[in-house]
Amino acid sequence: MSSAPLPVALVEVLARGDVWCGDTLASLAEASIPSGHAELDAELPGGGWPRGNLTEILVDRSGLGEMSLLLPALVNLSAAGGWLALVAPPWLPHAPAWAAAGVLLERLVVVDAGRQVAWCVEQLLASGGFAGVLAWPAADLDARVLRRLQVAAESRPVFACLWRSTAAAHSPSPAPLRIALAAGGGDLSVGILKRRGRPVARPLFLSIPRPGRTNRVVAGPAFSPAATRSTALAALA
Amino acid sequence: MVAGQKLSTALGLQPGLAVGEHDPVLERKALESLACWAGRFTPTVSLAPPAGLLLEIGGCLRLFGGAAAIVDAVNAGCAEQSYSVAWAAAPTPLGARWLAQAGARALHPTQAAMQAALAGLACSVPDWPPEAVARLAACGLQRLGDLAQVPAAGLRRRIGNGPVDDLLRARGELADPQRPFVFPERFARDLELPARVEHAEALAFAGQRLFAALAGWLQVRQQLVRTCSLHLTHDDGSASVLPLRLAEASADEARLLRLLREHLGRLQLAAPVAALRLVADDICARAGASIALFAQPSAGEGVAACLERLRARLGEDSVRTLAWQPDHRPECATRLAEPAADSAAFSPSTATDAGSRPLWLLDTPQPLAERVDGPHWHGPLQLLTRGERLESGWWDGGEAGAAGDVRRDYFVARNPQGQWAWIFRDAQGWFLHGLFA
Repeated sequence: MSSAPLPVALVEVLARGDVWCGDTLASLAEASIPSGHAELDAELPGGGWPRGNLTEILVDRSGLGEMSLLLPALVNLSAAGGWLALVAPPWLPHAPAWAAAGVLLERLVVVDAGRQVAWCVEQLLASGGFAGVLAWPAADLDARVLRRLQVAAESRPVFACLWRSTAAAHSPSPAPLRIALAAGGGDLSVGILKRRGRPVARPLFLSIPRPGRTNRVVAGPAFSPAATRSTALAALA
Repeated sequence: MVAGQKLSTALGLQPGLAVGEHDPVLERKALESLACWAGRFTPTVSLAPPAGLLLEIGGCLRLFGGAAAIVDAVNAGCAEQSYSVAWAAAPTPLGARWLAQAGARALHPTQAAMQAALAGLACSVPDWPPEAVARLAACGLQRLGDLAQVPAAGLRRRIGNGPVDDLLRARGELADPQRPFVFPERFARDLELPARVEHAEALAFAGQRLFAALAGWLQVRQQLVRTCSLHLTHDDGSASVLPLRLAEASADEARLLRLLREHLGRLQLAAPVAALRLVADDICARAGASIALFAQPSAGEGVAACLERLRARLGEDSVRTLAWQPDHRPECATRLAEPAADSAAFSPSTATDAGSRPLWLLDTPQPLAERVDGPHWHGPLQLLTRGERLESGWWDGGEAGAAGDVRRDYFVARNPQGQWAWIFRDAQGWFLHGLFA
């Protein structure tokens, strides 16, 4: 009984894309998109942002550099002629900045989805024509909807990214990759909450390109409002 | 129930019977719509009023993969439009008509097979004069096959030339040219609804016949539709129009119907609808396309169809692409544009000073509290750059919705939470205008 040969060799099973060992990272069926940050690529299964899988990015505050983190990947997709969609973005994208970064504006669709964010994302993912879909869903997104989105994204070469608040970190999600972002000193702290592979102990600190000259503070906290107001008014007069 | 019964008798036999008045004009219109629809199978369609349609399928057997495949497709299409159909396929038009009227529902690929089938039909052909049919019955001739046994000259004397020539045409012994149906230059078809429709969604089902006819008409004329409109006639005499705009020209019936359903889902009917009219407004020629040699994996419906569905449900203004407008005032630099899925040439996006503009812009600048240590936004803001003066804009000052004349000093600032903001100061004080996300 114990000498019965295994029907399939273990090595063959382990070679499959959807099976991974606890101590290594899974390999992905679809080619991933390099994130532009070597430290992050080393920690992501497949060596970059996944295609055909839902990615959740959990962040509470805006302006930390969260969009700049994705920008190299989005520029990559856009340069290859791919369509990008922003579903219910919290603010209006500022066209000069996106164009300067290298995103083709003609292929960047902004969808004002109202209360139908999940429906829109599902349609965009299932259409198969989009290379990147970024969505900002409402806070009360249940796991069934997430499951639907994951199924819609599967086997399509699309980078699907949902932005949620860090309050969702403890609720279960079918997304194979979940990342929490926070400010960490001058850098962006990237904590990988969930990935196909061993868990990550500590967050990565990535330096994100920031505007202006960061090393020199022009006007510090000791800034006299009364004086500036009077000079500003004088300049206007 | 049989033809010629009194209405009261028929209602007695079938209490739930829906009764309608016979209208030859409507029948003719329905037949023409069906002929348009049949354009998807063959360009040679002939009307055989009152209720017959002749499709010449000899030329397109290879395209569809045999007569059986075409017949299956025709039957499926008729069932979808809820028409019940009696059919037959035969080498001559009249032979096929007689066999269909007799309920043959069979393929007769050769002339011999058809002649054998015709021989078994009864002599009471509906198109023949009743006295001729009665005379044949008096002579003891029951089947069409029996007529072939008797001398033709005598038969002509007794029942007239017409029926005998018909017989020869049906058997393929006399030429029988048909007048082909002329597909109209412009597509506009009416549909009288059998009952008043009060719910917009129910119109999708009724409209299916119209869209089926449109798709067949587009196929036979080798054209694509870009815009069509559905005119609704309400039972109070008023009318309304539902325009359907496609992101890219198409002749796909399923896609048109999906779009129609999205539009109807949002439509509130002012009054019950009595009739529909579909008009193809914007038509363009279809460019030739190659079919893939090997079966390709289904790649989804594509960008254009998806955007068009989103626009149908969310509204035209909710789905836009970005466009850059050369204006130094940040709120004027972004313009939302119509998505153009088939734009092949991209206008090169002129890259300006990279990195000094924020990715997100607030719709309206948000006033910031000012304390002793400067502007506050979730804590004191630290200014990281020198002021960048953006000013002037007198040319649209005072216009509704325009930014107007501005005079602002912009700074990049950071708060203790690590958020990078684009703030400005003008005569009114400090404002938050963008986020370096």
